[in-house]
Amino acid sequence: MAGEDRETQTKGLKLLGILDVQNTPCAREAILHGAGGSVAAGLLYFLATSRVKRSYDVGFAGFMVTTLGSWFYCRMNNAKLRVQQRLIQEGIKNKVAYEGTVMDPTRKGKAEAPSGPS
Amino acid sequence: MAHPSQLGFQDAASPVMEELLHFHDHALMIVFLISTFVLYIIVAMVTTNLTNKFILDSQEIEIIWTLLPAVILILIALPSLRILYLMDEINNPHLTIKAMGHQWYWSYEYTDYEDLGFDSYMIFTQDLTPGQFRLLEVDHRMVVPMESPIRALISAEDVLHSWAVPSLGVKMDAVPGRLNQTAFIASRPGIFYGQCSEICGANHSFMPIVVEAVPLVHFENWSSLMLEDA
Repeated sequence: MAGEDRETQTKGLKLLGILDVQNTPCAREAILHGAGGSVAAGLLYFLATSRVKRSYDVGFAGFMVTTLGSWFYCRMNNAKLRVQQRLIQEGIKNKVAYEGTVMDPTRKGKAEAPSGPS
Repeated sequence: MAHPSQLGFQDAASPVMEELLHFHDHALMIVFLISTFVLYIIVAMVTTNLTNKFILDSQEIEIIWTLLPAVILILIALPSLRILYLMDEINNPHLTIKAMGHQWYWSYEYTDYEDLGFDSYMIFTQDLTPGQFRLLEVDHRMVVPMESPIRALISAEDVLHSWAVPSLGVKMDAVPGRLNQTAFIASRPGIFYGQCSEICGANHSFMPIVVEAVPLVHFENWSSLMLEDA
């Protein structure tokens, strides 16, 4: 059983030995966006000013900002999806439990129809 | 259970543990970015050719390195406090189980409806069957219904113990003469392992905890069988 766990779980790449980018949701996207943002910011600054050292600093700042922005955006979306998933699960459970009973929210339409002989 | 040389958390089996995992990822990303920043500053300081012997102060950078850590701490504290209060929410448990720590085994009591109690001893290595886990298996598991809020009352009969199941996000000290309460919901069926987490003598490492979450109908069958055997 332990062997099966090892095969199914991808061995994550740990940046700085701490951040497992493969197995942490949103981490891989955030780092990739950060890398792209860093290259773009540094390159643009260098093209504009021709200052090498400062371009590295701007590139690094771009990395931090882009990574943080992408991370929070992805995490917020994931959190919203999780809330929706829980609501849907609760709704399915309640539908199964309450169907046909007085607590069934879809029952009102049927109750209004006349049941006696015409 | 954990796989060999595992450093990170186990997969979550309860909503609280899921939230803890998400918070951990959030805090770890912040830690990673701070570490990267510090590393970059170190490299920049070591490789610079600039020197200025006449700098006395700099108000701008002082403001930045005062405000920025405060903002970072707030970004970490807000989700942390949210989880802290989430863990203490009143959840109207469907079942109460008492877990008593002894030297060196756990005993569980289900006294809500009938008087069901049993001891849970570790299975020795030489008695394991193929596929069982060394130092983690027990003869009688604590069986709980899945997707039901469970209240666990933890105490001890002799010395300090601690009842911990990492995948459920639960750890509570077992103190003699004191009743500690914790609650959890097993979101999915499965077998969840834990170990005593407070040093309690020679066999402290050999009194594991095993929680088995099953559908309610199976839990009812199991409790009937246990009562018949008792």
